[in-house]
Amino acid sequence: MSLLRTLRVTVNASALAMLALTGCGPTEPKVASAPPDMRRLTDEQYHNIVTDLFGPDLEVAVRSDPLTRTDGLLAVGARTAQISPSGFEHYYAMGKAIAAQVASPAHRADLIPCTPKSETAADDACATQFFTHTGRLLYRRPLTDSELKAMVSAAHEMAEASKDFYRGISLGLGDMMVTPKFLFIVDETQPSKDGKDIELTPYAKASRLSFLLWNTTPSDELLDVAAKGEFNTSSGIEKHVERMMASPRLHTGVRAFFADFFALDKFETLEKDSIIYKAYTTVVGKDAEEQILRTVADHVLTRNLDYRDIFTTKRTFMTGGLARLYHVRVERPDGAWVPYEFSDEDGRAGILTQVGFNAMASHPGRSSPTLRGKAIREAMLCQHVPDPPGDVDFTSFEDPNSPNKTARQRLAAHAVQPACAGCHKITDPIGLALENFDGVGQARMSENGEKIDATGDLDGIAYSDALGLGKAMRNHPATPTCVVRRLWAYATGRPADNSTTAYINYLDQRFAKDGYRLPELLKQIATSDAFYAVAKPAAATAMLQTEGGRGSSTTSQEAVR
Amino acid sequence: MTNSHSRLTKFRFGTVVSAVGFALAAAWGASAPAQAADGRYAFVIRDFYIAQYNSMFLDECPSGISMANDEIWWRAMSKEDRAKKTDNGLITVLDRNPVAMRRGPKGEDVCLNPEVVTDPPLKIIEGKYSYGANLDGTTDGRATPKTCAHHKFTGLDGTPGVDNQLYRLVGCTYGWRKGGLIELNANEMRGTSGLGMALIEISNVQDPRNDDDVTVTFYRSVDQFAMDGQGQPLPFTSYRVEADEKGKPSYGDTLKGKIKNGVLTTERGDVSIPFYGNYNFMHPVIKDFGLQLTIAEDGASAKGMITGYYNVEEFTYYVGGMAGHASAADNCPSLWAMSKKLADGYPDPKTGECSMISSAFDIQAYAAYAVLPKDQKLAKTAKK
Repeated sequence: MSLLRTLRVTVNASALAMLALTGCGPTEPKVASAPPDMRRLTDEQYHNIVTDLFGPDLEVAVRSDPLTRTDGLLAVGARTAQISPSGFEHYYAMGKAIAAQVASPAHRADLIPCTPKSETAADDACATQFFTHTGRLLYRRPLTDSELKAMVSAAHEMAEASKDFYRGISLGLGDMMVTPKFLFIVDETQPSKDGKDIELTPYAKASRLSFLLWNTTPSDELLDVAAKGEFNTSSGIEKHVERMMASPRLHTGVRAFFADFFALDKFETLEKDSIIYKAYTTVVGKDAEEQILRTVADHVLTRNLDYRDIFTTKRTFMTGGLARLYHVRVERPDGAWVPYEFSDEDGRAGILTQVGFNAMASHPGRSSPTLRGKAIREAMLCQHVPDPPGDVDFTSFEDPNSPNKTARQRLAAHAVQPACAGCHKITDPIGLALENFDGVGQARMSENGEKIDATGDLDGIAYSDALGLGKAMRNHPATPTCVVRRLWAYATGRPADNSTTAYINYLDQRFAKDGYRLPELLKQIATSDAFYAVAKPAAATAMLQTEGGRGSSTTSQEAVR
Repeated sequence: MTNSHSRLTKFRFGTVVSAVGFALAAAWGASAPAQAADGRYAFVIRDFYIAQYNSMFLDECPSGISMANDEIWWRAMSKEDRAKKTDNGLITVLDRNPVAMRRGPKGEDVCLNPEVVTDPPLKIIEGKYSYGANLDGTTDGRATPKTCAHHKFTGLDGTPGVDNQLYRLVGCTYGWRKGGLIELNANEMRGTSGLGMALIEISNVQDPRNDDDVTVTFYRSVDQFAMDGQGQPLPFTSYRVEADEKGKPSYGDTLKGKIKNGVLTTERGDVSIPFYGNYNFMHPVIKDFGLQLTIAEDGASAKGMITGYYNVEEFTYYVGGMAGHASAADNCPSLWAMSKKLADGYPDPKTGECSMISSAFDIQAYAAYAVLPKDQKLAKTAKK
């Protein structure tokens, strides 16, 4: 391509982008379609589905094999998640326990939509009714005839053998809950209209939408909409996106995104030294995690404010346990949540100054500017910080008799090691700004009697304290871009890569134009063609044809079928 | 850990300096939370003990230790009765609680009716030294219009004229001495029951380490202690102040005070504070109440002493209402009788008999936030 032509193409692309932004041109750049995929349910999704189907009274203690955080998100790691034998055992036990509760005398009248002719015999009509309805919600599509027949048949046999209709129901339901069709969200496809490629089935579109916006299985209503073909048109999708976004359940979806985005799963294993941090308990740890989510959800959804201001907002929510760590008065000393606003004079603003972030990115017994800097770079700016070499000498850092009293001094001594210096340069100046917060986020002026110097800089923006860091983060160009990239990856399970650059740029510009309002970004993604785009995995198909092996999502998908 | 109290000082210092363009202000924009802004600091009292000087070899009790209720009951029984009670000695651990106090002429409980028997006189403190304060202003303890004649102590630091007749009263009774069951039990019960929660709020504070003019108010909280893993109260916990339906806080007596190098000293006045222990809930008015409170450098805790005149009737009522006298190693009738003799404050205009007793109490307190009704109103307003 000649330079002139390149220039013309660039200019045309820019012009098109501008047109798009003004609402007069194409709405979004094309994205290279990815092969259909399947993602394992997260524990929260599993829990949400069971609660949606059977109500909040059931005991659901799901703890599956941990997902691997990939490209910053567990949602991306869920694409490659497997189920170990012990993980399957857990799913099996959980499925059976839930099924037993559903069929129990305490719940059956509410959860099984029909009464059998006899409780001591099979009733295929009633079983069919139950499995048709429940199976559609569990599999996120209508059961095929053979699936339904197999389920009713299994229930029939058990009911006859045990002389208990409900044992049959329990058996069938338990079996459904351990099938990949339930445990994996599968991109089921159908031939595209022109027959040349494939596209998501309306039910698969409903699933994508529901898990993105509500983090749960599609509702009856949404599946009905899919059945009517309303997801075949952009206007149909937009109508239902708007309906779903108007629901309070959007909070569930947005909270799930931010929990993944900010890697809040670390709280599950977060330990603190109870001798050093007496006020930090497991309960307070849960509150700290919840505080971050409440702050963000309130900011970006309830108030619909500029996403970037989550780094500077003075508004948050407080419990009695957290108030002890913040050293503030709270009107309800018990576990109740109350809105709280830090005063203008207070050194806290934004989520980086909250107990949760500082506790999460710290060691059990001390703060860590490096962990904090790394967490900010990786989770909030979408930048990669290399892992430390395996043979790092921490002696100078951990020496209790060190003359270096503050973390800044200790890090300065430690970072002279050439293998360490490079990374510490990109993490420590950020994390040191938070040194006025100890290992559980309590404010402090000094460390070991030495006044803390919280100055630093973020990619050339200098600041003198945590408030300055918050402002620098707010104004950092990577901050909004990062949430765009992550939300896209979270929605599709695919990390933003070279094939999506144009689309991500487009989303970036829309996000800016919309005043960095997250709901607009969410809507933009949820109504985009890109969100639903799939294509035949040509390479994988070729591999299948030549090797007859597995390894593609189509293979998995077909196996699930 | 640096607490908000000390941070406040530094923060304000920083603010002042920044006003003249000095860079220190940037050090910590810092957690000067709502509390700092309104100059209010509070402490919740955890431990409340009669201040006693107890020497290792009982030098202050040369006449010995008082005979306890239980012992008097046991000694009063015949050999045959003892054999009967103990199944000829086969029962080694005898449950004395239901019976040991019922040694009145008609089987009355002598702790609830201390006047029905005359026990041997209570052994009392005869030593020279005591904790406390000079409440009557004399050095010889002579009678004044406000006091009855009494013996004085010398303070442990050599201060002459110390008044602490309550210590004199209880100091030679095992159950009341340091480590004795009575006060240990009272403090334990207060720590775990959420009753008798006394809050001290210091307001109008410009500088929590040095301030010549502060206001000290005493409240009762309706909230329980929040404890750490070792069973100690967690500092900086919020405690709601008890109030009536119109929002007027209960208790609420106020004294002026000053803070010097972290030591709060109040002026004297009458103060009512809540008290709970040994199944008794009380709200004694301590006359000429004075508080000296040493606030820890980190502001998280404070130790101090309350001095003043305690109502004798209220004290003996408290003693009489306790459970477990059989194992408490105390003596109700003797203490009741002796308390009237040792009372040294506020004579009855008609009888001349003093109704109150000079006293001193050690307190241990933890930093807290007093949540007044007005704070809850503010929070509700803020929500809108």
